[in-house]
Amino acid sequence: MKGGAGLTDIRRRSSIPMQVIVNVAEHARGEAGMLKLTGIVGMASEAGLGGTLHDLAHEDRVETIVLDRRDMLRKRLRTVTDKGTDCAIALPRTTTLVDGAVLLLEAKRAIIVRASVETWLHLKPADAAVALELGYHAGNLHWRVAFRGPLLAVALEGPRRDYLARLEAFLADGRIALVDD
Amino acid sequence: MTEPLSAARVGIGGPVGSGKTALLERLIPAFADRGTSLAVITNDLVTREDAERLQRSGLIEPSRVVAVEAGACPHTVIREDPTLNLDAAERLELTFHPLDLVLLESGGDNLASTFSPELVDYWIFVIDVSGGGDIPRKRGPGVLQADLLVINKADLAPHVGVDLAAMTKEARDVRRGRPVIVTNCGTGEAVDDVVDHIVLNVLFDG
Repeated sequence: MKGGAGLTDIRRRSSIPMQVIVNVAEHARGEAGMLKLTGIVGMASEAGLGGTLHDLAHEDRVETIVLDRRDMLRKRLRTVTDKGTDCAIALPRTTTLVDGAVLLLEAKRAIIVRASVETWLHLKPADAAVALELGYHAGNLHWRVAFRGPLLAVALEGPRRDYLARLEAFLADGRIALVDD
Repeated sequence: MTEPLSAARVGIGGPVGSGKTALLERLIPAFADRGTSLAVITNDLVTREDAERLQRSGLIEPSRVVAVEAGACPHTVIREDPTLNLDAAERLELTFHPLDLVLLESGGDNLASTFSPELVDYWIFVIDVSGGGDIPRKRGPGVLQADLLVINKADLAPHVGVDLAAMTKEARDVRRGRPVIVTNCGTGEAVDDVVDHIVLNVLFDG
């Protein structure tokens, strides 16, 4: 089926920008049950969409796709919404997913992307020499890090225990300490 | 209005000699049979050897194969700075528009190579039994993070003293249920399963 169900109903809603209404027609249903989403129709925070999304949410018709940082960078991926809808996202190369991106807006359903909350390991080196060594170590392991004052924050992109295993020598002799979030 | 570039991009990485190019040589005709418009980018250190092998193969129009010379550690051009590969993919897509799929083969690298999600939509890591049955246990980022792990050269397992069932189980365990396919690219065994995964996850037209 091409085009969104209830398109006429959507056109009657004056709060939705025409651009959004046009883009609704760009999604299509592919293989059985799969919903193909080919663009961002707007942002959940936009004034023009907020009212509509609020109404749909009241009717429990807003579906969410939660993605981690790596998946947010992809242009194509297969995923499911929190309500189990099978989605095939296929974006132009120039389009990037962001938190709050609305991928579908129909009369009876909306689909929004949410970025999952990142978890970080905060490490406190005992002195400047250890900080240098820790920085080298983290770089060598291709970890994604952030500098937070006296702490080195490491983004956890896998199991926490895998990261702690790589830090075992630093932790064992107290050269670094774990700091709670 | 020009249509936006939207061909699916799939990376194929793994250690030297694991069978990345052999997998490509099986995937190319498989996708051709299903009518997928395809192009290939190969990455080598300082040669164009893999690209030339594919261009001579007769499997694909030679101009649809482009070589990128990394010049240094191959993982730098697929992860840290994928500009050369992004440019090559864009050129191929503009030249052969509309293109459905670009396969990007990384230069042979160790177990730590991974692809930037800004470069590819999906990536496959290829290891082989002759590299040692303990490869999954080493928990390299390539083994852990790839969307699909391929264990190739299944037929060689008894000849190199590898318990293939144990190796496969360990691979599934360390990947926490993410897919693992055991192949023999020499004969084409299980290559259809690899095609199915690509179709399911990024082509969506199965």
